[in-house]
Amino acid sequence: MTGAAPLLDVRDVARRYGGVTAIANVNMTVQAGEITGVIGPNGAGKTTLFNVISGFTPPSEGQVFWKGKPIVRLSTHRIARLGIGRTFQNLRVFPNMTVFDNVSVGALGHIGFPAWRALVPGVGQSRAQAIIRKTWEALDTVGLADRAGELAANLSYGRRRYLEIARALATAPELLILDEPAAGLNDSETAELAGLIRSLNAGGATILLVEHDMALVMGVCRRVVVLAAGRKIADGSPAEVQEDATVRQAYLGASDDGA
Amino acid sequence: MDAVLLQGIANGLSLGLCYALIAIGFTLIFGVLNAVNFAHSEVYMLGAFAGLVIIQAFAPPFMAVVFLVAAVGAFLGFGLERIAFRPLRRARDEASLKSRALREATLMSSLAVGILVRELAELRFGGDMQPIPSGAMLNTPIAVGPVILTTGDFYIFGMAAAMLLLLQFLLYRTKIGLSIRALSDDLIGALYVGINTDRVIVWTFMIGSSFGALAGLMVGLYYGTIFPYMGFAPTLKAFIAMLMGGLNNIPGAVLCALLIGLSESLAPEIMPTRWVDLIAYVFLLVTLIFFPAGIFGRKAERV
Repeated sequence: MTGAAPLLDVRDVARRYGGVTAIANVNMTVQAGEITGVIGPNGAGKTTLFNVISGFTPPSEGQVFWKGKPIVRLSTHRIARLGIGRTFQNLRVFPNMTVFDNVSVGALGHIGFPAWRALVPGVGQSRAQAIIRKTWEALDTVGLADRAGELAANLSYGRRRYLEIARALATAPELLILDEPAAGLNDSETAELAGLIRSLNAGGATILLVEHDMALVMGVCRRVVVLAAGRKIADGSPAEVQEDATVRQAYLGASDDGA
Repeated sequence: MDAVLLQGIANGLSLGLCYALIAIGFTLIFGVLNAVNFAHSEVYMLGAFAGLVIIQAFAPPFMAVVFLVAAVGAFLGFGLERIAFRPLRRARDEASLKSRALREATLMSSLAVGILVRELAELRFGGDMQPIPSGAMLNTPIAVGPVILTTGDFYIFGMAAAMLLLLQFLLYRTKIGLSIRALSDDLIGALYVGINTDRVIVWTFMIGSSFGALAGLMVGLYYGTIFPYMGFAPTLKAFIAMLMGGLNNIPGAVLCALLIGLSESLAPEIMPTRWVDLIAYVFLLVTLIFFPAGIFGRKAERV
């Protein structure tokens, strides 16, 4: 434990589905300003852990603290508004909406727009403008501003990943959870992504990166948490984790397919 | 073109617009949850009854009736979502939120609420057609060239156009519309960026149901047929129009509603009248077999 209170603190979290334990006794913290990696073989419980953190799945046991306050009973959209943004392993962009509209949904979620304002044109101009500003800002960050008018469905897979990141950035997240952002990207796109992650972090974003791509994780993360079979088996610097015998056996040894 | 054919086309478009009025709200509600709201026909019926009660009690100007019935419809949509949809949406995991099981459950719960409401309406008002004050009917004939139209045709056309324009404005120019489109595309994606999806769903039900209630009011006063079972047949046609249009496509549903109306109106020229009611079902079969994604559908996996 470091001196500063962690931004996110996951304590003794377990999630069971009937008799099946998806995760058990998971403890981890995320310090503000860090890039923390979470790795683990398929079925290790990474997605369950993120569903618990983001309020989508209530934990069977344990607590999650955000800036020292418990959040496990809050609904997903409230947790998102607290400043926890995320992207998805399987893309969840809005395919029939334009790139701009996709991102402005994120800005809308963050800035808010009471429904009565929406029905009265002219009221709430400043909020509407704040949403537009935030949307352009997020689009500029990922380099999609010039494609704002296109339908999301028409973007390439790699660009849709960036679109999803932009949408999450528009929610002004203090913690950005990236769920396998390199999945489906080629090497040069992954390298570009690593650059983006570093620059987001340099801009002040705390990042929790879930990834299969070892080079990416080891390249950008200062700390890596390893899950296997629903439990945390290691937690340390990339070098420490790579040397850890349990990790080598449970994860690195089993993953010769490079997935 | 001869006058009989022209009259047939006019009648068909008029009938089709009635189906379209119902289909607009139906399709809007379907879009957000991918769930069929079978209580829409009762919202339609209650809209007509509400209009009738208001007219009998105060006889206000017609525009006032329209706004009051829209408000009643919005209120019904709010209640319907609370009773038939939200309780089943409790399960909070990705697989079940838009799952087939949930869709089927809400299909049954909305059907059940619909039956209950219909039977209660019958207990209260009786099963017969309600007498409508003669001044309130929308059936004053108007000759347009060789064709006889009525005031109701213009009112219904105006209402359908107003609904489509309002919807276009709501969906593409307002923040609530932005959220509705986002939910319709990916509910979970919207949830995770901080959109209060439950609230957006309620808004959608309120808007869709106010449209449904207005449809009941217009069609009821046009045909003079306000009774507890009035929603069944036209809502079924609207449902078929929605399927033909591609489930999630409001302009497509409106066009298909017009097509059904036109076919039903012109069919007696070439086939016995008693077969006319089969036409919509033939359309349904043809759509399901040859256009499983709908005639204007973009995506096959929606069904």
